[in-house]
Amino acid sequence: MTETLSPYLPQIWLTIIGFFLLYYAVTDGYDLGVGIISLWTRHEEDRGVLMNAVSPVWHGNQTWLVVLGGMLFGAFPPFYSILLSSLYIPMVVMLFGFVFRGIAFEFRGHARKKRLWSLSFGIGSLVVTLAQGFALGGLLGGLDVRNGRFVGTPWDWVNPYAALVASGVLCGYVMLGANYLILKMEGDLQKRNFRNAIRASLLTLLISAGVHLWTALRYSQVARKWTHVHDSYAIAFFCVLALVSFTLVFCSLAKRREVAPLFWNVAVIIFSFTALSAGLYPDMIPGGIATPVTVREAAASAKTLIFMLGATAVLLPVILTYNTYAALKFRGKV
Amino acid sequence: MQELVNPVILSRLQFALTAMFHILWPVLTVGLSLFLVFMEALWLKTKHRHYYQQIRFWNRLFLINVAVGVVTGIPMEFQFGTNWSVFSTFGGDVFGHMLGFEATMAFMLEASFLGVMALGWNRVSPGLHFFATCMVALGASLSAFWILAANSWMQTPTGGVFQGGRYVVSDNLAAIFNPDMPWGVSHMWVACLEITVFVVGGISAWHLKKKQHVPFFLRSFKTVAVAAIVITSLQIWLGDGSGLSIAKTQPSKVAGIEAHWKTNPPGEGASWHIVAWPDIDKQDNAWDLSIPNLLSLLTTHSLTGQVPGLRDFPREDQPPIVLPFYAFRIMVGIGFLLFFLMLWTLWTWRRGRLTAGETWKQKNLLSAWMAAIPLSYLAMEAGWVVREMGRQPWIIYGVLRTEHGATNIAPGPMIASLSVFAIVYLFLFLVTMVFCRRIIRQGPDLQ
Repeated sequence: MTETLSPYLPQIWLTIIGFFLLYYAVTDGYDLGVGIISLWTRHEEDRGVLMNAVSPVWHGNQTWLVVLGGMLFGAFPPFYSILLSSLYIPMVVMLFGFVFRGIAFEFRGHARKKRLWSLSFGIGSLVVTLAQGFALGGLLGGLDVRNGRFVGTPWDWVNPYAALVASGVLCGYVMLGANYLILKMEGDLQKRNFRNAIRASLLTLLISAGVHLWTALRYSQVARKWTHVHDSYAIAFFCVLALVSFTLVFCSLAKRREVAPLFWNVAVIIFSFTALSAGLYPDMIPGGIATPVTVREAAASAKTLIFMLGATAVLLPVILTYNTYAALKFRGKV
Repeated sequence: MQELVNPVILSRLQFALTAMFHILWPVLTVGLSLFLVFMEALWLKTKHRHYYQQIRFWNRLFLINVAVGVVTGIPMEFQFGTNWSVFSTFGGDVFGHMLGFEATMAFMLEASFLGVMALGWNRVSPGLHFFATCMVALGASLSAFWILAANSWMQTPTGGVFQGGRYVVSDNLAAIFNPDMPWGVSHMWVACLEITVFVVGGISAWHLKKKQHVPFFLRSFKTVAVAAIVITSLQIWLGDGSGLSIAKTQPSKVAGIEAHWKTNPPGEGASWHIVAWPDIDKQDNAWDLSIPNLLSLLTTHSLTGQVPGLRDFPREDQPPIVLPFYAFRIMVGIGFLLFFLMLWTLWTWRRGRLTAGETWKQKNLLSAWMAAIPLSYLAMEAGWVVREMGRQPWIIYGVLRTEHGATNIAPGPMIASLSVFAIVYLFLFLVTMVFCRRIIRQGPDLQ
């Protein structure tokens, strides 16, 4: 078993890591989106309602990032090291954003001046989102890696391409947040979020189309895959699915459905993420400037990958079970 | 000034600051979650209202403590990548997967059930709520296990070989169950329990002294006082065991902690310094006050056991001395003080002085319990100084030097992040203390 598996271990782990990333982006994405929406929610009471919509689940959702970080560290140590050290500024800024977002729930409950802590929730969420967006943009834009070491400057992530990716992440999270709130809210707050969702979805569609195009123009291997018949089918397949899901998001929003928008929103993220990663594969760090780092080079030893795979195969179903259980206990309107 | 713009120094300062601040919270999370499991079990069994009141009061402190622990914990994981990227690439095969297990096995469990535990009182049955509390406690303790196992591996790296610029695993279980692991995990886990009993006991003592909610706080006080009998004694035994183990696995650390320069000749015991001032250039102590043979006795359990001195190690491999030396004495001193406090409490209790009407008269005893709160935290922090500074100049003992493990980026962003961490954490600490004070002064809700 070990012998047959070992050539594919890095790919298997890339898929698992991709799953963690998607799970995190979707679940904490709506928490962060709710936080950003709270920034233009006028009444303090309403902001409290928004926070209550995520308070039982945000901690579990955020933990997928810790899982993602830990597993990435274990499965791809060099990638983890290069990614975090070369994107030092957005990563550290994200950590500070998490401090203010996370602390807001408990502190708001105890505070006499609620305003301060709902602001901490909103601004913290915005800071985390932008930092993640710029970090993703910095990574997709290519890191200057030579001989396994980052040799660029700490400010390389400041560029128009990364800014476009960051605005895409921002709109995407707001879209998720609004669709989640449609599910959890009633009356006026729900109505307002139908509006939020439509606007954010439109912007997300435009920006993500822009990101896909710009990425294809930047990297020859992406462009090649788009023009090679065999490869382009696979990518086009996911792009079409993403577009169909987008259409269904709009349709269900127009029909004022409560569950469907969130469902199709998740589908949009899964399909467009898959299309984007399929274009870049096998590079983990695309070589925008210097030599790219591939999946194989970045992986840990086969021994560790097998060991982690065994543990994950047992743990992941358990985690998903109790996560679903906890989420079901808090279903329904706030 | 030249020192400060060095990325190694900046990263070390930032890690020390963030780790020493972070660890203040999870210790209580580990211990208090177990205390809550105990109280909830009693409540389910007896259906007595007063157990439920205990749960609700301590739960408020627990939740605020968890919140700060969580937000300060995430930076710990990420700093290995941002500031210690060379170490992370080098040791990631072992260290990374342990952090991965911590996240999936422990932290996820704690985080997912915390929602149910905190907000699910009206949504799940009491039995399921108890289950959620148990899972939170299990998650917290498992977290401690993995973090300490990973840290122990840095102290006693086993289970792999150095190959092509990376430490490659040959045996994952040998890496996890490295020689220091049983001592590292148990000593820290019991420290969590010890701090918790003194926090619960100290807060109870404050109310008892003021004759507020006496039956409620007498119950919590006596519960933790019983636990303290076992915990304080066990901790001294574990501390002694750790010392013996470190003497075998990390001789340069023991020599540093004890400012012990010259290996004692066969047949002669090494003396233990109560106080000392090391002179690095002379490779000796400028002065010291010592008890003969005690160091041999402590580290080898024989009066004339041989203890290698610092001079046996090349100067560049010697750890810093002053801080670990005094931090060690602070930790041990407080450990014994807490043990004597427990004996004093036991003696008072046996003489029938700890009754609802009389306890407030034991003003000195109650004040000592209140003082034990900061002291127990101080002992734990001092212990970490001994453990981490004593390992220097190595980040992975004997394998990778700390100066070779740090990220080499421009110092500007590092200075900025260090300063912001210091400001944000100070702010967090003050705000948390304000809210904790409010919760404590308010006392339990007896409705």
